[in-house]
Amino acid sequence: MPINVTMPRLSDTMEQGTVVKWHVKVGDKVASGQVIADIETDKATMEQSVFDDGTIARLVCPEGKQVKVGDVIAVLAEDGENVDAAASAPATGGAAAARPAPTSSAPAVSAAPAPARGPVVADVEAVAVDGERARVSPVARRMAQEMGVDLAQVAGSGPGGRIVKRDIVLAAETRGAAVPAARPGAQSLVAASASADSGASGGSSGALAVAGVQSVEVPVTTMRGVIARRLVESKQQIPHYQVSMKFAMDAILAMRGQLNQQLAALEVKLSVNDFIIRACALAMARHPFFNASWAGDRILLHQQVNIGVAIALPEEKGGGLVVGVVRDANLKSLRQISGEVRTLGEKARTKGLSMEDMSGATFTISNLGMFGVDNFTAIINPPNSAILACGAAIEQPVVRDHQLCVGWEMAATLSLDHRVIDGAMAAKYLQSLKELVEQPTLLLV
Amino acid sequence: MSALREIEFRDALREAMSEEMRRDKRVMLMGEEVAQYNGAYKVSRGMLDEFGPRRIIDTPISESGFAGMAIGAAMMGLKPIVEFMSWSFSLVAADPILNNAPKMLYMSGGQFGCSVVFRGNDGAGGQLGSTHSWCVEGLYSNVPGIKIAIPSNPYDAKGLLKTSIRGSDPVFFLESERMLGNKGHVPEEEYLIPFGQAAVIREGTDCTLASWGRPVHFCMEAAEELQKQGISCEVIDLRTVRPLDIGTVVRSVRKTNACVVVDQSWSFGSPGSELASQVHRHCFDDLDNYVHRVHSADVPTPYATNLEQEYLPNARKIVEAVRSATYNL
Repeated sequence: MPINVTMPRLSDTMEQGTVVKWHVKVGDKVASGQVIADIETDKATMEQSVFDDGTIARLVCPEGKQVKVGDVIAVLAEDGENVDAAASAPATGGAAAARPAPTSSAPAVSAAPAPARGPVVADVEAVAVDGERARVSPVARRMAQEMGVDLAQVAGSGPGGRIVKRDIVLAAETRGAAVPAARPGAQSLVAASASADSGASGGSSGALAVAGVQSVEVPVTTMRGVIARRLVESKQQIPHYQVSMKFAMDAILAMRGQLNQQLAALEVKLSVNDFIIRACALAMARHPFFNASWAGDRILLHQQVNIGVAIALPEEKGGGLVVGVVRDANLKSLRQISGEVRTLGEKARTKGLSMEDMSGATFTISNLGMFGVDNFTAIINPPNSAILACGAAIEQPVVRDHQLCVGWEMAATLSLDHRVIDGAMAAKYLQSLKELVEQPTLLLV
Repeated sequence: MSALREIEFRDALREAMSEEMRRDKRVMLMGEEVAQYNGAYKVSRGMLDEFGPRRIIDTPISESGFAGMAIGAAMMGLKPIVEFMSWSFSLVAADPILNNAPKMLYMSGGQFGCSVVFRGNDGAGGQLGSTHSWCVEGLYSNVPGIKIAIPSNPYDAKGLLKTSIRGSDPVFFLESERMLGNKGHVPEEEYLIPFGQAAVIREGTDCTLASWGRPVHFCMEAAEELQKQGISCEVIDLRTVRPLDIGTVVRSVRKTNACVVVDQSWSFGSPGSELASQVHRHCFDDLDNYVHRVHSADVPTPYATNLEQEYLPNARKIVEAVRSATYNL
């Protein structure tokens, strides 16, 4: 029997994936464990291995095409099996019953169409996947024409990305009534249109344009699409509010300087952010609701403190943002945290973080201090209930012990989910943080 | 008063036959045990007493013989009703019922019609095993010249059987042992139900369920369950598969854009596949998904209760098919 290689679910949130690159071609022999493709998920690009020995009979999913988790991306002929026959065999998704093949040369399968049941829908679609022709259900095609919906702008939600009735209805609703279909303007220039909608979710709406202004279209990468979707979700669903506090940074900077000098030989270089991570993590012991998630009818207090660290990717490499995770940060020393954050940063900027590196954050820190930003606010990284935005430690006039003097200060702003955390709770957390940051020897034990 | 009258499916059949026999002296009933034993399933109870042995005739166990005799009688102007204890047994009478009855008018150049009704139990009766559980509509609907009625309830059974008896063509009338005891409203006043008129027995907006005979009840069960899940089904009881009221189904599918056909015969070359094909043809631009079909499994009918249940169409399979057809998996 031909073996189907399906789009794997590489993360909890992954619904679709893109084969960025095939490392094999039809006819190649592969061994179990061999990497055959790079798969771009909503979070990272990962290597996909096969679990069987065999010969590649068919590459169902072309490079660059986004398909749903579970859809067949390649067909493998088992050792000794005829590769051509395997290639023409129906690609059955999951555990579905055998379906008749579309060609008479197909191997013998049950002549009767299996009674319709759940997963079989995917099968026939998988057979039909080739080329670039959009798959559209007949009624969806007719409705698109009647309602003036441009099929090229619609993402299909049916099996194999088939555009079905509800996608057209949604597209028409999103676009707003009575707006003409996207105009056939210049290929890469967006034609001006007076209609506007909030297309920030990267959904199915047509391109936004500014009247009288020519614009260049930049395709949205998977990562950019995920950032857009998740942050729109976060801002729309989470009742955000912010609470700020300034911390005196003199002591922490002095201690950091001393430690870095003493540990220079060991190539340890602690950053201010490493101290903040440790401080945030330790404060969780007294403030469990900052390490929590809103779950609709209850709140989940996470029993592990995993601090997410926002990492900006270099613009010359396409930019973007990922969150690396320091697990059990409350149980790790400054030195361990520092080492892990550095490794995560380098990995993110070079080959990319793995799913393991990015999953499981229970609280997130975003720090723009290194760019000289004095303060800013961040959007909560779901399912967290809070995020801390740190500015730079800045030397400035301050009042200490009723005296005007020069000191170092850093502004920190918490963005909070009001469903989980109230204002006074936020203030108390910041007080705890202030205590730890301003008396940093507490961070050493 | 009569609006409230509820009778069993078997009584509706008997009323239809008796009324037509009182109305037309040419009508007669023959079959195994229909007279002295009052019918193997008590459909013809009391008919021997009323109509006597010349019109209610016990036959030997020889379907080929008495089916052929009925056809000959019909050619000579009588209007026989033949009861097959099970349609499974009609297979031994294949030549008279398939090769003679439906072709007689054509082959005689219009000289001999063949006004005969063959009726009996069709489909799995409940642990009757592979050879006694036939759904003969899968085979017989392929033959031109036959009318096939497959009622799902007492009201339709009576109205359709009277129409069958009065007509001038051979009719295969398919009942179900599992439904003979079903009660339903049947008015006392006379009525007939024309062939080729489907009934929309539940209105809905999201998916059309088209069926006939016993599986109609499974469709209603499934529609009830699907309603709870937020999927609204329109259920159509075709009532006759030849002629097939495609118009009613098409009107419904144009509204719902999705269709599931439920047919308890096997899937390959069945009335269900024919209906699906016609829907694809007439509703091509109206469909949001291919027409899904629920049939009996493509194996001989199992004897074991659990296997037989799993073999037949049931509400769970129908729910799954509708969810698939409407992209609600």
